[in-house]
Amino acid sequence: MTPYEYLRIAFDALAANKIRAALTMLGVIIGVASVIMLVAIGEGARTYIRTELMGIGTNLLIIVPGKTETTGMGRIPSGIQKLTLGDMRALEKRATLIPAMTAVVVSNAPVKYGNRMRNVEIIGVDQNFEAVRNLHVEIGSFVTKADVDARRRVAVIGRTVRAELFGEANPLGRMVKIGETKFRVIGIMEKKGVTLGMDIDDHVFIPVETAQEIFDQEGLTNIITQVINEKEIERAKQQIRAVLMERHAGEEDFTMVSQQAMLSTMQTILTTFTYVLGGIASISLLVGGIGIMNIMLVSVRERTREIGLRKAIGASQRDILLQFVIESVTLSVAGGVIGIAFGAGVAYGVKAAFPVIPVDVSAWSVLTAFSFAFMVGAFFGIYPAMKASRLNPIEALRYE
Amino acid sequence: MMDTTAAPLIQLESVTKVYTTGAIRYEVLKGIDLAVRRGEYLALTGASGSGKSTLLNILGCLDVPTSGHYRLAGEEVSRKTDLELAHIRNRLFGFVFQSFNLLSRYTAEENVALPMTYGGLGRRERLEKSRRLLARVGLGDFTRHYPTELSGGMQQRVAIARALANDPAVLFADEPTGNLDSKTGMEIITLFGQLNTEGVTLIVVTHDTRVASHARRVLSLSDGRIIKDEQNTVVEST
Repeated sequence: MTPYEYLRIAFDALAANKIRAALTMLGVIIGVASVIMLVAIGEGARTYIRTELMGIGTNLLIIVPGKTETTGMGRIPSGIQKLTLGDMRALEKRATLIPAMTAVVVSNAPVKYGNRMRNVEIIGVDQNFEAVRNLHVEIGSFVTKADVDARRRVAVIGRTVRAELFGEANPLGRMVKIGETKFRVIGIMEKKGVTLGMDIDDHVFIPVETAQEIFDQEGLTNIITQVINEKEIERAKQQIRAVLMERHAGEEDFTMVSQQAMLSTMQTILTTFTYVLGGIASISLLVGGIGIMNIMLVSVRERTREIGLRKAIGASQRDILLQFVIESVTLSVAGGVIGIAFGAGVAYGVKAAFPVIPVDVSAWSVLTAFSFAFMVGAFFGIYPAMKASRLNPIEALRYE
Repeated sequence: MMDTTAAPLIQLESVTKVYTTGAIRYEVLKGIDLAVRRGEYLALTGASGSGKSTLLNILGCLDVPTSGHYRLAGEEVSRKTDLELAHIRNRLFGFVFQSFNLLSRYTAEENVALPMTYGGLGRRERLEKSRRLLARVGLGDFTRHYPTELSGGMQQRVAIARALANDPAVLFADEPTGNLDSKTGMEIITLFGQLNTEGVTLIVVTHDTRVASHARRVLSLSDGRIIKDEQNTVVEST
């Protein structure tokens, strides 16, 4: 008998009991659809994080003051020195693997325009910030070297700040109050939206030395450096360590965080997250499989006479076994296909309706769900099919 | 027609069958010797519990003897694998049952085609042959009918057509007229007579004295033994 003949018999048998077949399939459909949907969410989150971090740049190395990770026999630091603009100048001169870097001071302050006020994160930056962080001005100009050196009171505002303080009015050239100090607005940043939970548009950028002055900070929050390329990150770290330790009396009182390390940590967490979601969803697929087994057992019992007859007219044990296994695989695979279509449909529907929710139906999740559906059918079908194939034809024919 | 010169198609030697249910041992067949030649028309009669159905099942390779030998066309059946037995049932034998055993989700022609499915024939050839067979049993106009749309006699004729699907050497029937009224029963008996004259070997288990009277050889069983084996000298013409 050809595989096609077995399939035909399976379809005929299932068609004879459409509602039952549909309900049994529903178990698999729900299982597969939930695997597809949940994995799509996990995968979506992963690609989202990846592209966000890639957008920032994978060759970034951020230096922050203080030692947050100790490796081996770390000496107890005698005192943490601040990271200063002097440190950055030294790095600019001597760290050859770092062609660009920017000093950053972060603080919070209320920003006022007229009678409107908003509490905003104020970021002190230099002229290299735009290039290093890949964030750009849309209208007007960014902070220049002259602004930094002369400690000018100029500000570049994000889109959210602009909307909140100015509404539709043109903010360029207007004076805003940051804390108690007046600043002239010289530029508006391009719209970036939320990156890694941080609203980039809700920031105000001012020259770094101005920020140090008005917030009375000697040190820097961090120095963002851009390494020549990703492969040189380790050697760049060595250069930075050498330069800064010399300036900090031999103490390694700073930490370097690479974007690459953050990326891989995030990826690991989110991959685990995806597997956990997929695993939870697989349980419902398993329940669907048990449903198939249950219905196949009922079906074998109901069709005892048919089995006896088929054996009497020349079906071998193998024929009967295959007939029932193929029937249950047909159920589970059909359920799998519908489930994939349904799950992917919902996932893309969610994506279309709420673009902020990241979903990504990956080929591997479709393939895995499909092969799992297939295996569930085969696995849960084999026992009822074996029962059927081993029936004694005479007893089967006598069965009422 | 019966061929008396050739070696017997079916040969049983001291065949026994014992069933054990729990502690009770039940001897259904107590040593059967029997030879059946090609072209014979054999009726197995006897009271219920005499073992005639069990004997038919063993002859039809649906059941295996507890002891003794069954040689089919000279070959020992007990040595055959499940696959070989399935092949024998498919190609060499045809079965007709008291309760027809048609599959209700298939049409008459699909039911008749069923054995050909296991015989490996293509669907189109199968259905073509089914229609020819249905015409032969007088149901040429009912090929697309479902079993529930047919009378009992018609259903049994569909079952006979199905039994003939792979041109079997032997046709086994277990009380073929048992579920039919006397008129339609007679039609089946007539059909069997025709088939036998066309060369089909028939082995029929029956209570029906009319069936027995049409057979050429009548075997009477009692308590697991053959007590009478006689040729019908005067076969009632049909």
